[in-house]
Amino acid sequence: MNRVLTLAAYNVRILLSERTWFVLAWALFGLQIAVYGSLMSKLVSTTVPNYLFFYGVGLMVITVFDSGADVGRHFVEHAHEGELPYFLSLPVSRGGFLAAQAIYGVANTMIKVLPPLIGVLWFVGDLTVQGAVFALISMFLLGLGITGIMVSMSFIAFKSVDIYSAFLAGLSALIVRFSTVFYPLIFMPSFYSPISVFSPLTYGADLTRWVLGFDSNFLINPIFAAAVVTGVAVGTLSLSARIVDKVIEGVKAA
Amino acid sequence: MFAVETLDLSKRYGKTDALRGLNFTVNEGEIMVILGPNGSGKTTLLMILCTILKPTSGTAKVVGIDVVEEGTKVREVMGIAFQEARGFWRHKPSSILRFHASMFDIDPAKRQDLIERTMKDLELWESRDKMFMHLSGGQAKRLETAKVLIQQPKLAIFDEPTSQVDLRGKRKIWDKIRELRDQGSTIIVATNEVREAEYLADRVTILHQGQRVVCDTIPKLKDAIAGGDIVEVDFEDPVSGKLVDDLNGLGGDVSLSSEGNQLRAKVSRAEDWVPKMTSASYIAGAKIASIRITEPSLDDVFLHFTGKALVDQP
Repeated sequence: MNRVLTLAAYNVRILLSERTWFVLAWALFGLQIAVYGSLMSKLVSTTVPNYLFFYGVGLMVITVFDSGADVGRHFVEHAHEGELPYFLSLPVSRGGFLAAQAIYGVANTMIKVLPPLIGVLWFVGDLTVQGAVFALISMFLLGLGITGIMVSMSFIAFKSVDIYSAFLAGLSALIVRFSTVFYPLIFMPSFYSPISVFSPLTYGADLTRWVLGFDSNFLINPIFAAAVVTGVAVGTLSLSARIVDKVIEGVKAA
Repeated sequence: MFAVETLDLSKRYGKTDALRGLNFTVNEGEIMVILGPNGSGKTTLLMILCTILKPTSGTAKVVGIDVVEEGTKVREVMGIAFQEARGFWRHKPSSILRFHASMFDIDPAKRQDLIERTMKDLELWESRDKMFMHLSGGQAKRLETAKVLIQQPKLAIFDEPTSQVDLRGKRKIWDKIRELRDQGSTIIVATNEVREAEYLADRVTILHQGQRVVCDTIPKLKDAIAGGDIVEVDFEDPVSGKLVDDLNGLGGDVSLSSEGNQLRAKVSRAEDWVPKMTSASYIAGAKIASIRITEPSLDDVFLHFTGKALVDQP
């Protein structure tokens, strides 16, 4: 366990050395809330109460998704820059190696999401420690699931980085657009809503809104959402552990 | 117990067989050099031993531990210096070594001293604050070696440890590898450089097309080549045809120069043949002015066993 933490700490230190990216991510979040959030809030406020808050949580969930995708990219970069064979030669189990990647992913997500979360809650006048903690736990679980999906998909990159990038872009578009990050499920047209139930972001976003006290009439059942988010996290992390152990061998050499 | 033992080990990439039923052992405390041209399966074997690759079939054990069944335990007792020193682009050598030392539980109280001493030994100390991406190829390779040296593992693996390193640096790395062996580590060095093999090897395994061709000490490998030693004898005066006939009767292939005072003999073991030759010459009354013995190189050994040159000729 100590070695897993050492490995995770090493990755997190790399992360912390790239402070500029965090500042940019926070600035982008602020810009989106201030410009697009405000505009969209005026357009839909007649049907969804406090849409800016709804939008703000959705934006945080997208940030969680992007952070999870970052971990997948980080993993692939390790492989292509030659670091992966070294990491795989260290005295850590494959599961431990994956756990270190997940801890890195969680740290990345928390750093990117925590300031916007506090900012949004403060702005809507609903900032409580309890709310912030539960929202973080919800997004943490979602982040683990996204990390699992991305690492599971990274074996594609061992065939071709181009195919992986294209696949990731397509997957991102589908998972983000066909979800409830911007619109409640009950208002979605019938040809759109059935697809949304397949996006893990739908459950992550609605669960986070529920723990922050948003009107549950606009959300998916929170118990069901929590079960799906937890199931996705456990399932995809198990799958990625299997893939790391069985499929990805880091290097092919003759 | 062997430090390393493989049994019928095979590795297939698609339709290419990188290793084909390899049986290979390394004794504890020896330096085993694996000699083979590019594509012979050296790196694949090392990657399997350090659990990065999985064999397609067969078994491999490191200090008795199966590399597939108990990979983490294997990784605890071995260290590898990779052929390609890559990664950690934005890190400094000292920070890379500190991380490596912490992963292998090197005593924190001794860690800094050990890192400093190793870096100085390998002439990396001056570059300790450079980013990895700013190191030269040779410095990056020395850093790769330094990781294993500070770790002092039971099994140390070096994959072409001195490629891209200058002559002075090569000698330093070789000496440190021998020092590591003297401290009790078992060492495997994969190389296609004959000088490296001759300097380091307690035993050599020649690998060709994924199979072990031969494994022995360098002198025995050279002796195994019939007519492998070349002995040149200068006599003070031209010698008789009878002496040449007598010397031919001792084994080997003896030829006399046109001047009649210089013999050239291809023999299996010069150390056996020369005393017999001097006795025969003494009896025949032929005075010897000088004797020169040359050995075949490992290139010749490789050529003898595989029918191919170790390094492709330009």
